Amino acid sequence: MGLSRREFLKRTAALTAASYVGLELPFTLHKEASAADVDKWVRGSCRLCGVGCRLDLGVKNGRGVALRGVPESRTNLGYLCMKGMLFYKVMGHPERLTKPLYREKKDQPFKEISWDEALDIAAKKFAGAVTAYGNDSVAYYGSGQALTEETYIFQKVMRGGLKTNNVEGNPRLCMASAVGGYLTSFGADEPIGSYADIEKAHCFFIIGSNMAEAHPVIFRRLMRRKLDNPDKVKVINVDPRVSPTSRIADMHMQFKPGTDLAILNAMAYVIINEKLYDEKFINDYAVFRMGKEKKQVDFAAYKKFLEDYTPEKAAAICGGNITPEKIRTAAHWFAKSPATMSLWTMGINQRKRGVWANNLIHNLHILTGQLLKPGADSFSLTGQPNACGGVREGGGLCHILPGHRLVKIEKLRNQVEEAWGIPKGRIPPKPGYHTVAMFEAINAGKIKAIWINCTSPAQSLPNADKYRKGMSREDCFIVVTDIFPTKTTELANLVLPTAFHFEKTGVYGCTERRSQLTPKAIDPPKGAKPEVWIVREWALRLAKELNDPVIKQCVAPFIGKEEGYELPKAIWDEYSQKLTKNRDNDLRGATYEVLKSMPDGVQWPAPTEAFAKTGGTVKKFVRGIDPLADKEAKDDKPYQFYGPAHKDRKLWIWLRPYKGPAEAPDAEYPFYLSTGRIIDHWHTTSMTGRIPELMRANPYAYVEVNPADAKRLGIKPGDMVEVESRRGKNVLPAKVYEGPIEGMVFVYWHDMHEDRMINRVTKDAYDPGSKEPEFKICACRIKRVSGPKPLKPYIVT
Amino acid sequence: MAPVDAVARPFFSSPVSMNRLRPPGAVPEDVFAGKCIRCGRCVEVCPYHSIVPLDARAGVYAGTPLIFAEQIPCYLCMKCVQVCPTGTLRNITQDETRMGLAVIEKYSCITWRGEALCRTCYNVCPFKEKAIHLDQLRPVVDERHCTGCGLCTHGCPITVSPGKKAINVKPLFAQARVKW
Repeated sequence: MGLSRREFLKRTAALTAASYVGLELPFTLHKEASAADVDKWVRGSCRLCGVGCRLDLGVKNGRGVALRGVPESRTNLGYLCMKGMLFYKVMGHPERLTKPLYREKKDQPFKEISWDEALDIAAKKFAGAVTAYGNDSVAYYGSGQALTEETYIFQKVMRGGLKTNNVEGNPRLCMASAVGGYLTSFGADEPIGSYADIEKAHCFFIIGSNMAEAHPVIFRRLMRRKLDNPDKVKVINVDPRVSPTSRIADMHMQFKPGTDLAILNAMAYVIINEKLYDEKFINDYAVFRMGKEKKQVDFAAYKKFLEDYTPEKAAAICGGNITPEKIRTAAHWFAKSPATMSLWTMGINQRKRGVWANNLIHNLHILTGQLLKPGADSFSLTGQPNACGGVREGGGLCHILPGHRLVKIEKLRNQVEEAWGIPKGRIPPKPGYHTVAMFEAINAGKIKAIWINCTSPAQSLPNADKYRKGMSREDCFIVVTDIFPTKTTELANLVLPTAFHFEKTGVYGCTERRSQLTPKAIDPPKGAKPEVWIVREWALRLAKELNDPVIKQCVAPFIGKEEGYELPKAIWDEYSQKLTKNRDNDLRGATYEVLKSMPDGVQWPAPTEAFAKTGGTVKKFVRGIDPLADKEAKDDKPYQFYGPAHKDRKLWIWLRPYKGPAEAPDAEYPFYLSTGRIIDHWHTTSMTGRIPELMRANPYAYVEVNPADAKRLGIKPGDMVEVESRRGKNVLPAKVYEGPIEGMVFVYWHDMHEDRMINRVTKDAYDPGSKEPEFKICACRIKRVSGPKPLKPYIVT
Repeated sequence: MAPVDAVARPFFSSPVSMNRLRPPGAVPEDVFAGKCIRCGRCVEVCPYHSIVPLDARAGVYAGTPLIFAEQIPCYLCMKCVQVCPTGTLRNITQDETRMGLAVIEKYSCITWRGEALCRTCYNVCPFKEKAIHLDQLRPVVDERHCTGCGLCTHGCPITVSPGKKAINVKPLFAQARVKW
């Protein structure tokens, strides 16, 4: 009951004017953002999603007070979303961590210690683990939100100094399948085209992406393109859930979750059998391959393989509203439009067969020649602001070194060792643990010390309870660097406070291969330090502890540099000049000076400063546009595929059969569960949850239930519903809404409350190729537990 | 207790105004004060503390229930209409509720002004796609479905002036006249 009878009588009888404590927000966004009374505007890029919006931070009295978009930027054209407009509120937040916190045992309370003590402890623990249990008993788990300089120096110390490839990062949870797809289909990671293709495309194929919420500013560009040319531009949306993205679609293909591989193969079947393919393009640039051994096959074999995926057969597999006619129409639109652009995100990547799904999208583009020409591209949207720039290019995963080099190739390892000036053979040849394996190794007690930077795996890992159990083991020493307390700091031994965006200098590389600099504009809160400083000081102590001069050598070029600007600049110079030299992500032209002079950033390849100043390469592989395509040209064809993974310099069309999800619904757990991101919040809400406007807009997660299912189960809007899988359960309020297909429920994953943390329910099965977990599909059952209940937003403090 | 602005009114004037709403199913304001016996059951049952009993400063309306939509909106749990002993709150369903109509101020709304992409009102609306839908990513209210619950007002990040957001609920239906 809301109010007790006694309390009610007291209130009405007394009839006094007690003051009401409301949540008043005397706040006017537009007035604040356009306020001329800031001391200066400092140009940087947005801290949050992968779009890479350029924005100005308004600084007044040394504090960030407003954010506004940069109209000259080629990414956002001056536009921002609410998160991007409000994240300056994080900077001066009272809950910011400002003192290193330490506890010997995880059940003790934290006590504040000095930086000297903290770094000594971190060095002793890592050195102790290495001495007692070997080099592979330590690990680093980073983030697609760390600056490139940070990821680079962390992995340098881990690989070059501590001789382990246990370097991972949360991009494994979001981008790994896209990397696998690009490498296996095109031979080179990251998209060929740019956002600029949106304004030239005539057909959009949006599959497995709710870009209206997850990439709102890019979606706005796409929507403008569609609305300005309603008859000329077609939009196909392929998603088991009707999302805000579906609203502008001419055709929405709704299918049973996990059956999209059949749709994509069926579209290829239509393209082949109705002669919609581009024969010359295929003959010039493509080969067909199949299986683990990458066996080359011919066109006839591909045609025969597709016999299993006639539109009729596919429609029977897919269910939902998929009809053979729909598949045919989609294939015709895709193939016949003057330029088709595909866009996808986690619906494709976070899957048991994520790499295959990526391959099948690329197949459609290669078959129809919808690639490399203006407006045509197979474009994977990135989730995080620096997953591409820092982690994929900077060597932030267990199997790659900086500059798109594979760990297992000796020649490439030696190049890196030489650039770092460390002895040959220092970097071990075996890739380290991938994310799920890393946390499984913690569960098994194999990792004795781990450094978690700028991310919260305790909330973001699938089947989170299983891994939280391991992380709470006393024999695993956990260091966390972050700006706020999170679910992960709760499991840490040592918490180090770091500087936030605009409180340090560094580069973010967004979805379209664009590197953008964010300079230091304000001082961090007293006591918080930039990560690059922390790593340097830690490495120097490690060198002493382990008596190993090579560790010192790893940070030697950076000793004594000022941490706000000079230090990251020196790291960026080493990385861009030495390690991207002659690689496909050549960033030698993108020096800090050039990046600072650009309203947006530079798209690689950009081998010279003069070329970088033009903005870089808008389209890879095209002679006349991409300087590397000219340099690496082997014949006189207009397109040159110089990617490091394909020695034959061809695009590969893959024969990938249909495979369902790892866990399909059954009698016991009859529903599909899928998760996703909401526009107001970013990942685990450690930042956006502390912004009152955003928290009011979206205080907690809810479960979306199809009205037909809701009726059957007696669920009314707002009722509390239990979502249970074989791994865990949540209790959330219901939103009854024609969103998810019948038989499927959908939950947003940002909420930190134990009852609404959906990753306790999701499954940790992963793609055998990319090792990316299948967050998007698992089986669950739902039941109504009570009527509506008032809930409070939850934030760790 | 009721915020000051609700009670700084003449003795006989109704407190119902923009974002100051009667609970679901309320009879027209014309007869509300005469029908309501100030038993407080709706206040008592409301799990969200949305319903506030007015105090003496509300004159003849003292003790009647009011919702301050931008502070705590109505979550449409429909508990109050089930306990009202007099029928002042008629026993209606969620979708029949008409506490008012949400009206977007296009000159204040940050999305309509074209400055940023916000669709909080759309996201929080319990009748999403029906009561509020997006037209070119801009929110539009449909009066056929809007219940006037005030969730959008509560969520709206723009405060134009105290008590006023960029989307507000106007209690249009409370003004109906009752024929005697």
